[in-house]
Amino acid sequence: MNRRIERVVVVGADAPAWMAAAALQRSLGGAGLQLRVIELPTSIQPVDAYSALPELAGFHHRIGLEEDLLFSLCNAVPIAGQRFSNWSGAAPPFIHGYDRSPPPGAGLGFTQLWIKGRQKGLRTDFENLSLGAVAAKAGRVPMTTQETELRASFGYNIDAGAYSALLRHFTMRGGVASKAATVADVETEGDRISAIILGDGERVEADLFIDASGPRAVLIGRMAGAEFESWREWLPCDRLLVASAKALKPLPAFSQISAFRQGWIGLFPLQDRTAVVAAYDSRQISDQAVLEDLPALASLPIGGEAVVSSLAQGVRRRTWVGNCVAVGESAFSLEPLDAVQLHIAHYCISQLMTLFPVETGTFPEAELYDRTIRRTAINLRDFQFTHYKLNRRFDMPLWDGCRDAAPPETLQRKLDLFAARGRIPLYDDETFQEQAWESLFIGHGLMPQSYDPRVDAVPEQDHIAQMQARLNDIVGLVGTMPLVDDFVVGTELQRQAEATAPG
Amino acid sequence: MSEPLDIVILGGGTAGWMAATALVSLIPPNRCRVRLVESEEIGIVGVGEATFPEIKNFNDAIGIDEAEMMRATRAAFKLGIEFVDWGFKGSRYTHPFGVHGPVGMDHIFHHRWLRARHLGLTSDIEEYSFAAQAARNCRFELPETRQSAINSAYSYAYHFDAGLYSVYLRGLAEQRGVIRTEGKVQDVVQDPETGDIRSLLLESGETISGDLFIDCSGFRSLLLGKTLGVDWEDWSKWLPCDRALAVPSERDELSPFTRSTAMEAGWRWRIPLQHRTGNGYVFSTSFIDEDEAAASLMRNLGTNALAEPRMLKFQAGRRVVNWAKNCVAIGLAGGFLEPLESTSIYLIQVAIMQLVPLLPGKIVDPRLRDEFNRLIDLQYERIRDFLILHYKLNSREDAEIWRYCAAMDVPESLTRKIELFRHSAVIERYRDGLFPPTSWLSVFIGQGLIPEGYSPLADAVPGESLIAHMDRFRAEILDRVEEMRRHDRFIDLYCAAEPSIVPAGPEMRL
Repeated sequence: MNRRIERVVVVGADAPAWMAAAALQRSLGGAGLQLRVIELPTSIQPVDAYSALPELAGFHHRIGLEEDLLFSLCNAVPIAGQRFSNWSGAAPPFIHGYDRSPPPGAGLGFTQLWIKGRQKGLRTDFENLSLGAVAAKAGRVPMTTQETELRASFGYNIDAGAYSALLRHFTMRGGVASKAATVADVETEGDRISAIILGDGERVEADLFIDASGPRAVLIGRMAGAEFESWREWLPCDRLLVASAKALKPLPAFSQISAFRQGWIGLFPLQDRTAVVAAYDSRQISDQAVLEDLPALASLPIGGEAVVSSLAQGVRRRTWVGNCVAVGESAFSLEPLDAVQLHIAHYCISQLMTLFPVETGTFPEAELYDRTIRRTAINLRDFQFTHYKLNRRFDMPLWDGCRDAAPPETLQRKLDLFAARGRIPLYDDETFQEQAWESLFIGHGLMPQSYDPRVDAVPEQDHIAQMQARLNDIVGLVGTMPLVDDFVVGTELQRQAEATAPG
Repeated sequence: MSEPLDIVILGGGTAGWMAATALVSLIPPNRCRVRLVESEEIGIVGVGEATFPEIKNFNDAIGIDEAEMMRATRAAFKLGIEFVDWGFKGSRYTHPFGVHGPVGMDHIFHHRWLRARHLGLTSDIEEYSFAAQAARNCRFELPETRQSAINSAYSYAYHFDAGLYSVYLRGLAEQRGVIRTEGKVQDVVQDPETGDIRSLLLESGETISGDLFIDCSGFRSLLLGKTLGVDWEDWSKWLPCDRALAVPSERDELSPFTRSTAMEAGWRWRIPLQHRTGNGYVFSTSFIDEDEAAASLMRNLGTNALAEPRMLKFQAGRRVVNWAKNCVAIGLAGGFLEPLESTSIYLIQVAIMQLVPLLPGKIVDPRLRDEFNRLIDLQYERIRDFLILHYKLNSREDAEIWRYCAAMDVPESLTRKIELFRHSAVIERYRDGLFPPTSWLSVFIGQGLIPEGYSPLADAVPGESLIAHMDRFRAEILDRVEEMRRHDRFIDLYCAAEPSIVPAGPEMRL
């Protein structure tokens, strides 16, 4: 008779490892799971920031972490969307706002009305139909309390070191044992890990090993069949440079991502500074040259140190082998272009919880885990590659190459159908829903050639009135939202008030 | 503005009139003109007296008044399907149109139920399904719209007279501008270069030309199959039934569910309508001959037959694409899956509702066609797997067909699902496709597949409070169900048919 999983070891560092440990402890600690974290040396530098999608709030809620702590301890800034500039020649910048998807079956949708309107000479930009984008432009934080049809939410930029420390503290307080160590060796038996040998010689056995070591992939990287599959043919950037600039005043409600000749540069506002990230192709430019160009590219003075690291984008052929499960960037990794970094860990952890093995004998859950992680990875890759594929920067080798690259079939279908009819074929395990893809495609200049014929059943007067009402509703709602600076101060004040409240 | 698209629908059964009504209702006349060609000499199959809850979305979208439609089609409500003798002789379970367990807990509920069983709980999983309990008690009310309410977590479908539904839709469609032409097709004219269909030549000599042709010609698949030569993919090795016998009988209890009873060579349906009970036997001629099947059907009627049984021949499968060149097949012309889960009308509906937003211009854009075919493929394959599950998961051993099905190889996608459920009670979720995890759960458990394990997440609650919670929830359902109206009473108040309506014609219904 096989038995329940009793001992789980998480090997890794920084936020992903502690996210995994916190989730496991929260959900399975009560069921008697013994959890231990083998904490590898951090790969975070003081300059690093995480940029997170709104879904992370749901994760915090599930593990019981108070959101206010992010603002008081991690220099967090709420982010309503991302602004993309210089990707498409002379086209104006656009914002991908974090709108909530309308409920299924909500009818035609405003995108189709907008497409026809545009063909008829309507001037308003697509992003003006997005509550998140308009809030972002106004520097306001989307907090829709009432159940309106129009809803948006915010993600965060967070100091990576402080956030990891917060999660670590939170998890340890929950009773998780940890040890700072390195992994010297991995003992396997068949396709399973029987034990890992730490740098100090300790031999650690477990029923299940979670590899949250990021691109280092200290466990999964040694497993048979889990070779790394590179996506460089689509995603050319292989270097990341991170530095800091002064905090922006007033704080914007968006991160700013601008393309340049050899890659892109992102400005991620934090309370105490602005994280500056450049991703680029080492075949096109040297680290030194990027560093020199950085102030000009960022249009900001750069202070303090700059840290360069290499970046390998791709997915492991298998992400759960034997009793070893990869979560986060040990499973697949992508450049931090659409705030997907922590989402990768978050998604893998959610899947692991859903598919947590029933017993130690066999793991048929692995196949489904593998399949869903891979599909998610591919959908995210397609989303990020779209920025490159649809670029209109001419006579620059990196950008010409990306425009000419044949997209994966999964993305080709999306591009084709959108160009033909303004619809998005969504697959299983999509992180980004229709609205996100639409803002991406339209923002980068892919205009649909035709629209849903049902739009023509809407009389012109109604059509104009509906569009106008939508724009007014958005402006009205945005007006009630707090400014980022007030929001950040407000949560801090509230926290202090609660901390000092009697009783 | 360019000329409107000329759409020609061939065939006026359920598929043809559903398509015609939807197109003319949803798309304005400056974008498309709809003609429907049918012949009164050709009988219609009239697929499906039992439907799936999605039909309500379709009706709502095209502006149908529910009570009026129900009066016109002598419809009754349906909260699920009861399966008798499927997994093993003497078994009985409900596939309800609603979740098991409290609203929003369906991802973990069945794991908790499994754990509670290990702790000694004996109650059946469907005692935790509001829809199943209401069905069993012959109760019906419209679901509560407040999302958290215990009686909000279900949807409903109809049992109706599909022939009357077509008649009702025809009335609407003609009123809204569909031109109907009576006639039989003598010849189909194709473009010599592209192979596109250009026109239909009728026996009367009339030529009906169009830009887009919708093939609703039923099993004959006159346009997609016969004219364009799109291949048929045969799925009968997994779904061996190839005949259906249907017979109406006098009305008996108006239960708000379809009953499907497994038989010696297939299964028998019972579908209560306001004015009669529909009965039928779906069987495989590899395992029983037609006369024997007819005798078995008649022997098992609960009430007096109102007509002689009528027979339909079919094969499970589908055309490899449902849209080729400028021709879209909707309904039986595109594929057939037996009515075990009442999916025939759903497949018609989903094809129409995918076609509308993807409606091409005068020259078909292949990008629109490809997307339509991708989505229809997913629908067919996922329904197929779900149907096969009913046959595969049996331990009856008392008849050849059941021994064959228990031993047969099934598609790999299904094998994986079964094995994962057996081991871990996990059910994969998908985006496009009819059956949510709760449907799979009811069939797995109902047919005797109790998982060996369950998610450790269910161990996090202390056992006693888990069982107390479950008991309380079960009692709450029963209390609420008892407050509901009886189904027949609800029908009387809501949509009782005028007694003067003539019963539908003699066409075969599934």
